[in-house]
Amino acid sequence: MAASDHTLGLSAHQAGLAPCEYCGALHRSLHTTACRKCGAAVEGRKRFSLQRTWAFWLMGLVAYVPANLLPIMITSTLGSTSEDTIMSGVIALAQSGSWFVAAVIFIASICIPVTKFVFIAGLALSLHFQWDMSEHTRHLLHKITELIGRWSMIDVFVVAILAALIQLGAILSVEPGLGINAFALSVVFTMLSATSLDARMFWDTSSDGS
Amino acid sequence: MVACRHCDWLHYKLIIETGSVARCARCNSVLYTRKPFSIDRTLAASLAGFVLLVLSLSLPFLSLTRSGLNSEISVLDAISALWLSDMRWLGILALAFIVLLPLARLLILILVLWRLRFRLGIRLWMCRAMRWAERIEPWAMAEIFMIGVVISLVKISSLATLDVGPAFWSLLGLIFTTTLTSVVYCRDTIWQLLTTRLA
Repeated sequence: MAASDHTLGLSAHQAGLAPCEYCGALHRSLHTTACRKCGAAVEGRKRFSLQRTWAFWLMGLVAYVPANLLPIMITSTLGSTSEDTIMSGVIALAQSGSWFVAAVIFIASICIPVTKFVFIAGLALSLHFQWDMSEHTRHLLHKITELIGRWSMIDVFVVAILAALIQLGAILSVEPGLGINAFALSVVFTMLSATSLDARMFWDTSSDGS
Repeated sequence: MVACRHCDWLHYKLIIETGSVARCARCNSVLYTRKPFSIDRTLAASLAGFVLLVLSLSLPFLSLTRSGLNSEISVLDAISALWLSDMRWLGILALAFIVLLPLARLLILILVLWRLRFRLGIRLWMCRAMRWAERIEPWAMAEIFMIGVVISLVKISSLATLDVGPAFWSLLGLIFTTTLTSVVYCRDTIWQLLTTRLA
């Protein structure tokens, strides 16, 4: 719709107003207050946004190391056991010809987490060092990061289902490995990291409405 | 006035036609919407979702047969498998993501929208509950669980015979109603109703 005829030409923050995250009511204070309409905590900008983002990011990264090194699934067949890590599972699937499944797991468990680590770090660094990156690019990167984050949980659910389903005693049984624990942790932490990053900060240095 | 949720740009709030969307002049995100019959439709979709979720949890989900041995699981069995292999907290996490959070979200929506729909009066706890429903949303992962199920099916199909049970279909329906809920849910209409009648 026609844009500029209904804007004020400045952000709420510049006008000294803080919007309620839920009901949208504007408050004439940038400090934390309780929303007069719905009672939610209102902050002009999320407090400690970058600190929280980095803290969760680091936790996610730390958890991602054992997630890749430790086995996520232990399969026992007639006395012999084999352990699979995320990557060895993908390779085994690809070798057995299940290209599609291998691709889905590769994307969900490796591409998405790595993309998220890179994007979040890039966005946070761009704020620290005032990089010359367009607000629209940063806005898009942040939206992508928030959107793809949850999909990494696929592998956790796959392991849980296989472990529950494949319980045929000595013939064939599957147990979850410690790696999947670390992987789930990593996903949760990176999701928290992405939501801690206040996207409105990307726009604080710009002034035009284009 | 209204500030964009994504970039904080201030706009005058205009009255828009039912069914249309106002977008931010700076970042082009949705600023506010006015969806038709939002309360009725969201309530209907949530009620349907609740029924399907209860069905998905109580019916058998998948069954596996190999060399005469059979194993049948429900959604809850998949979670208890984690619990039983000493992955206690991962089991709790999965229980929360697949069962508790979707259930809590649907119950809150049903309770609050029911009271709004039948004009039973607005209380402060309804605002609090709606805030939780919105916070929970990204953590309710039934649709991701479903993709996990499909992947597992393909993975095992070479090892054993697999059959899907009724819970599989009701979970599929649940994904449909969840999507429907977010399509017809109009947060502006609902928050306006919640806050104006309270004041």
